[in-house]
Amino acid sequence: MLRHLFTLIWNRKRANLLLISEVFFSFVVLFGVGAVLITAAKNYLAPHGFNYEQVWRLEVRAGQNLKMPRAELDDVLRQVKALPGVRTVALTSGNTPFIFNTNNSVFEYEGKKSPQANVYDADDHYGEAMQLHLREGRWFAPSDDGSNHRPVVISQDLRESMFGNGPALGKIFTWENPGKGPAKPEDEFLVTGVVDAVRMESDFSAAIPSVWKRLIPYDTTHWETANVLVRVAPGSGGELQEKIARTVAGVTRQWTSQVRVMDNERLHRRLYTLVPVVGLCIMGLFLIINVALGLFGVLWYNISQRRAEIGLRRAMGATGAGIGWQFLGEMMVVTTFGVLLGTLLAAQFPLLNAFDLPAQPYLLAIGAAAAAVYFITALCAWQPSRLAAAIQPAVALREE
Amino acid sequence: MENLLATSSHTRSQPLNGATDALPVLRLTNIEKVYQTKTIETVALNQVNLTINRGEFVSVMGPSGCGKSTLLSLMGLLDEPTRGTIEVDGRTVQSYSDRELANLRNLKIGFVFQSYHLINDLSVVDNVEVPLLYRKGMGGKERRQRALDALDKVGLSARTGHFPGQLSGGQRQRVAIARALAGGPEIILADEPTGNLDSVMGEEIMDLLLGLNRQDGVTIVMVTHDEQQALKTQRVVRFFDGSQVG
Ligand SMILES: Nc1ncnc2c1ncn2[C@@H]1O[C@H](COP(=O)(O)OP(=O)(O)OP(=O)(O)O)[C@@H](O)[C@H]1O
Ligand SMILES: [Mg+2]
Repeated sequence: MLRHLFTLIWNRKRANLLLISEVFFSFVVLFGVGAVLITAAKNYLAPHGFNYEQVWRLEVRAGQNLKMPRAELDDVLRQVKALPGVRTVALTSGNTPFIFNTNNSVFEYEGKKSPQANVYDADDHYGEAMQLHLREGRWFAPSDDGSNHRPVVISQDLRESMFGNGPALGKIFTWENPGKGPAKPEDEFLVTGVVDAVRMESDFSAAIPSVWKRLIPYDTTHWETANVLVRVAPGSGGELQEKIARTVAGVTRQWTSQVRVMDNERLHRRLYTLVPVVGLCIMGLFLIINVALGLFGVLWYNISQRRAEIGLRRAMGATGAGIGWQFLGEMMVVTTFGVLLGTLLAAQFPLLNAFDLPAQPYLLAIGAAAAAVYFITALCAWQPSRLAAAIQPAVALREE
Repeated sequence: MENLLATSSHTRSQPLNGATDALPVLRLTNIEKVYQTKTIETVALNQVNLTINRGEFVSVMGPSGCGKSTLLSLMGLLDEPTRGTIEVDGRTVQSYSDRELANLRNLKIGFVFQSYHLINDLSVVDNVEVPLLYRKGMGGKERRQRALDALDKVGLSARTGHFPGQLSGGQRQRVAIARALAGGPEIILADEPTGNLDSVMGEEIMDLLLGLNRQDGVTIVMVTHDEQQALKTQRVVRFFDGSQVG
């Protein structure tokens, strides 16, 4: 019977081409949406690699075209740290987690380039403030003051791509294309520690290889804004935020400050990331509903066109149920063609390593899209097939 | 066949064991067929009593619209009468399930339709194979061989790969006949099987049917407008306006 269905479908290829292309496009759309959703879900379930709870971001501004003397900045840090309820303060660059500010670069180690990596400035307390998880070595400390190179901590994923299984601690790498002449010591990065991979962009983003460069006093001399991470005791709120603002103002009247809660920034970013994903899903849903209705219509039409054939098959010994299965079976064979074509296209993504994503979400998306397409077509074919099954042979044979 | 009878033994009017041959193959009792449409009620058959015995060759004659095709579709179990009973091998078929009816149609009856009813998307040989598709346990090779044999009998061996649209009316008629023969049925119900054939081809088909009837003992009921053909059969049943007149 399957051979017979193939023959029938092959002979009706012009009519079936439309169905096959509808199945193909649905598959591709579902695959795309599926890949996005699966990737997002997989990321969401992965650990962030740091603790965003009870961390505030204190932004201190010196004002337009005014620089920040380091001594006053240190005063701010010291006094904020001393406030009751404040656990740790850490100075960092503007690209703190969950905000739209990134700074990335490519590095080089013994002629080998690193992947694109996020670069953060961090002081000696950053690791503690963010509760990064150290895997090897240590966070930088005052004892590094005398170092001839700039101490850095790198994330595990960067470590793997730069140093593989070999040792990483004590290794020195540089920017990509270090240029001619002797490198400046601050541009030679000495690995002092390795931490777990971090996901700092959003709840749905993947881990990005990261480098934390130790801030040296020289770095801050051109700053107009300082970003301070403040880890506070659980339950701290608006009262402490006001105290922090007053403390900053107490050091110098010209400086302004703003305190933001990192968890709020995370939720804000999550919403921002979700909107296009939800939009994509809704668009995909409408497309699929459209395709499903189209399919339903085409199948319905097919059956009304093939009533005489149905009557004839019944007269030749097909049961009503047999006719129903035949039509459902034909649709499943057609679906298989569409899905195979779609898989051929979708398989290029993992094969060509598109978007630098691992193969697994793509393969999952292929499976999910195939299952969904079979489900949808079976659902669309179900009612018309039942209709076909109920057609009485004599009635069908009359019409022509 | 025995197998089928055994599985449906719960139905009424069991034939006596070994007496199957003595029972009529088909018996219609007090058959009435009324077609109901919105505007009009057509009595296509009225009080028809007809018995077809095993091995008979019966022709059915009558003017257009008198109910001949209706009669054949009732005999072929394609439709149900409005009133009256139909018995196959002495058993009433009204109580048969969809599956039992399908089995009877498939194994026992070969139907030649007045308007061929070939599937246009299938080649000639694939069309002839259709009834065999619904036979349990028949492999593709045997199906193909049987279909080719049947096509050979109707003189269409050279056209097996053609599609119905590429055939003349007479050739299509012969494909339809081959399809009815392919299953090796006990009964052939033929609705004007030679209606679209020239006299030579018509003769050949008639001889083929006569041969099946005489050599293989196939029971045949044939609708025809041709008195000459009717004379060659064992019995002529005449209809007028839905009623049997002779
Ligand atoms: N499905 C139907 N609905 C309504 N009326 C029908 C239907 N089928 C047949 N009839 C009517 O029943 C009558 C008998 O039709 P039938 O086809 O049996 O005639 P026939 O003897 O085979 O005629 P012909 O020699 O032209 O083939 C006709 O009057 C026809 O109009
Ligand atoms: Mg007729």
